[in-house]
Amino acid sequence: MNKAFGRAWMVMVYIFLYMPIVTLVIYSFNASPLVTVWTEASLRWYVALAKDSDLIAAVWLSLKIAFFSALMSVFFGTFTAFALTRYKRFPGRTLLSSMSSTPLVMPDVIVGLSLLLMLVSLQHWLGFPERGLFTILLGHALLGTAYAAVVVTSRLQEMDGRLDEAAMDLGCRPFQVFRLVTLPLLLPALVSAFLLTFTLSFDDVVLSSFLSGPGYSTMPMVIFSRARLGLNPTINAVATVTIAVVSIAVIASSIYQSRAERQRKREVAQAYSDANQ
Amino acid sequence: MAITATADAASTSPATTSSANTSAVRKKTPQELLRVEGITKVYDGSVKAVDNISLTVATGEIFALLGGSGCGKSTLLRMLAGFEKPTNGKIFLAGKDITDIPAYKRPINMMFQSYALFPHLTVWENIAFGLRRDDMAKPDIAERVESMLGLVQLTKFAQRKPHQLSGGQQQRVALARSLAKRPKLLLLDEPLGALDKKLREKTQLELVNIIEEVGVTCVLVTHDQEEAMTMASRIAVMSEGSFMQVGSPDEVYEMPNSRQVADFIGNVNIFDGVIEEDESDHVTIRCEECLHYVGHGISGNTGMSVGVALRPEKIMLSKEQPTNGYNWCAGEVIEIVYFGAHTTYHLKLDSGKVIKAQELNNTRDLSCGLTWGDRAYAHWNDMAMVVLTH
Amino acid sequence: MTNIFNYLRNHIPGRQIVIGVPYLWFLLLAAIPLLIVLKISLSEMESTSVSSMISWTQGWPTIKLNFASYIFLSTDPLYFETYLSSIKYALVTTIICLAIGYPFAYFMARSPKHLQPMLLMLIMLPFWTSFLLRIYAWKTLMVNNGVINNVLISLGIINDPIAMMNTPFSLLVGMVYSYLPFMILPLYANLSKLDVRYLEAAADLGTSPFRTFWLVTIPLSKAGIIAGSMLVFIPAVGEYVIPELLGGPDTLMIGRVLWDEFFSNNDWPMASAVAVVMILLILLPMAIFNKYQSDQLEAKS
Repeated sequence: MNKAFGRAWMVMVYIFLYMPIVTLVIYSFNASPLVTVWTEASLRWYVALAKDSDLIAAVWLSLKIAFFSALMSVFFGTFTAFALTRYKRFPGRTLLSSMSSTPLVMPDVIVGLSLLLMLVSLQHWLGFPERGLFTILLGHALLGTAYAAVVVTSRLQEMDGRLDEAAMDLGCRPFQVFRLVTLPLLLPALVSAFLLTFTLSFDDVVLSSFLSGPGYSTMPMVIFSRARLGLNPTINAVATVTIAVVSIAVIASSIYQSRAERQRKREVAQAYSDANQ
Repeated sequence: MAITATADAASTSPATTSSANTSAVRKKTPQELLRVEGITKVYDGSVKAVDNISLTVATGEIFALLGGSGCGKSTLLRMLAGFEKPTNGKIFLAGKDITDIPAYKRPINMMFQSYALFPHLTVWENIAFGLRRDDMAKPDIAERVESMLGLVQLTKFAQRKPHQLSGGQQQRVALARSLAKRPKLLLLDEPLGALDKKLREKTQLELVNIIEEVGVTCVLVTHDQEEAMTMASRIAVMSEGSFMQVGSPDEVYEMPNSRQVADFIGNVNIFDGVIEEDESDHVTIRCEECLHYVGHGISGNTGMSVGVALRPEKIMLSKEQPTNGYNWCAGEVIEIVYFGAHTTYHLKLDSGKVIKAQELNNTRDLSCGLTWGDRAYAHWNDMAMVVLTH
Repeated sequence: MTNIFNYLRNHIPGRQIVIGVPYLWFLLLAAIPLLIVLKISLSEMESTSVSSMISWTQGWPTIKLNFASYIFLSTDPLYFETYLSSIKYALVTTIICLAIGYPFAYFMARSPKHLQPMLLMLIMLPFWTSFLLRIYAWKTLMVNNGVINNVLISLGIINDPIAMMNTPFSLLVGMVYSYLPFMILPLYANLSKLDVRYLEAAADLGTSPFRTFWLVTIPLSKAGIIAGSMLVFIPAVGEYVIPELLGGPDTLMIGRVLWDEFFSNNDWPMASAVAVVMILLILLPMAIFNKYQSDQLEAKS
């Protein structure tokens, strides 16, 4: 395949992907309240954002929910990954496997509706939970568990199974094997899973809408209701802030990872030249 | 079953304990360390990986399980380590029944084929790992780790991580780690499998020296005959889950008990024939290609069908017909395979059978004098063969 | 506290805990809710608790099933059209994503090795920034006095703004935009692991690059194509946010219908019935996806 054609194609796709983002950022500095007509550069929308207590409260709520749902997702996702990779046979394995991959593709509206109906039944029966923070948390945790399970499974499968046996051979009881050998090696995947599920939760509109209660509006819910009504430059400001934070985090982690990789390659090469002397 | 020699023809090589010559018969300490009774492992209801195996290993022995893939040697090793539970049978270590004891409680350690070093720990921590599980006091741990590092000559590399070491160095760490807890029994899973030929030779000797220095009893698993013969004091040849023969390396090599064992180890020519004369001091066997005169009595009868196993290195080649009436045959040189140190000649006999004869290249001009197409005579002496019933 | 822990450790094998915990979690949050959806779809709005469904006559339980919602679904042609329309949009989205994403993943996999992590990061970066905000951004781009129209007008290319917004076009733009990374990632994962030696073997045997692509590369990337397609198609069928923000009155999507039945009409049984039928429609693709996932699990073990 023609190299020039390939490069052109890739560049066009990147432009397609980034065009909306770039526009958002540029117009967040637009003085005009007509979002799409540029007048002059201004920071007024950021000022408005700082004063927008509803939106800021929503951001805060979203961060809290995202944090805890990510923790729960990694917790349950790791269990799931272990159950599916370490035990080849048990009754109901196919069911577990299907249940854990279903949330990955099931349309949000169905997940939201079904969870809500279940929680309402639970409320009739037990008296709790009230719809609010906890219910949103549960919904996000369910979704997150499915994603975390994929990430952790992938890493578990790559790991050398003999390491567990070596640890047992040297005197580790099964839980110690997990704590001393598996967990440290799993850590990068756990961090990945945490970040992924954090983002998923922070970004979610549909589940939150179904599962929240009065007084609990997440950031996406607020933005969504405003966006339905029309264009709003404060949204641009929030968008730019989000994009900036995420971009810095992603780029920093990417640089860190490639540095670590290069360092490691150097060490391995060094070992070989040492041995050949 | 080998037809045993009635005259004193059993291994008469002197028992030496020089570290370099490990294939000699070892002085056997009578103390039994490992006893396996009737071990069987069945998978999925019908696949028998290990079939009713019993064996004993004495303290200080290096015992090799030799066989091809699928023969069950790795399964047996894993049962000794505790990673698999036997379907039937018992395992005793120093008299104690360990069959139901989990791996992490057995005083047995294993050196894995792929080393299985913990990538997130330094060399020092890898070796100390097992010691920490025993609640050893910190200064004691340090002392033991240092002495292990010295044993494998890796003291300078203590703070490195496994990916910073070469393959040979990683192997030494694996060895040090497996010896750190002074196990009663050391298991080695294809210890030299990952190394190239030159490194393998060097490492074989080092490995055995270290094992002897420490004085630990070993069971090793390998598919490489050379490895088994150079390292072990006793070999068990395995096939399809059972032992075909157990003996010292020279016993297994020079006195195989069946065609299968004879063929498995090294090269062998097997002649089919019938016993003609059966005396107490000699036997003659008539084969299609030649007449064998065996210089000792055997426990068979006239008229019995037997196989005569003759190893290529025991055959001598010449261009002139030998004068006596037995222990020679004639054929055409159809192939010459040059190995550098020796050459193997493939001789097609008049009957159509092809035999292999091996000659040392002890002069530099390959002056065996034979070339493709030549008519040659292969001859051997009367103690060079083994007579086999099956 | 340690006593409880020790008791657990000695009496309940780790295996049961490791399997039991996620099992219960998913049963409670994934399986049972779907059953409840089914149940509620078969009841009336006023009586949505389980016990109201089952009544006892002469000692034998009779289950009262109310098919009103389903009858309504099948008689009102709008629903049928909406389902059809949703599937069509999802299908078109999948095809476009494949058409754009496959070459992209292919070229990315063939790029210099040291560049690939960065290229991958650049694809993932938009994914990490809020999806909602990016859809909103398209709105600002495509509205009549939006950025695209303004730029085109100021450049003199057009005189009147093109009505892009609230059309099937804008919906598809939004859909393709959101789902493209989900198509690219599995494809890239698959193509980057493709052993170059297969292609070399084909060349050695006299196959032109073009034919090698069709006869070797594409079949070998089948798993990636299926994974990517399922990851796009299945959720796209029930998509709500994008049609709501970028679609219009003539873009019928079943996700919106479900939402409206629930939030606007407050008709839970109806919403549930809509959901049940939606699930039936995506059952086959989901089965394909599940099979793919468990194959992945087996392949590497």
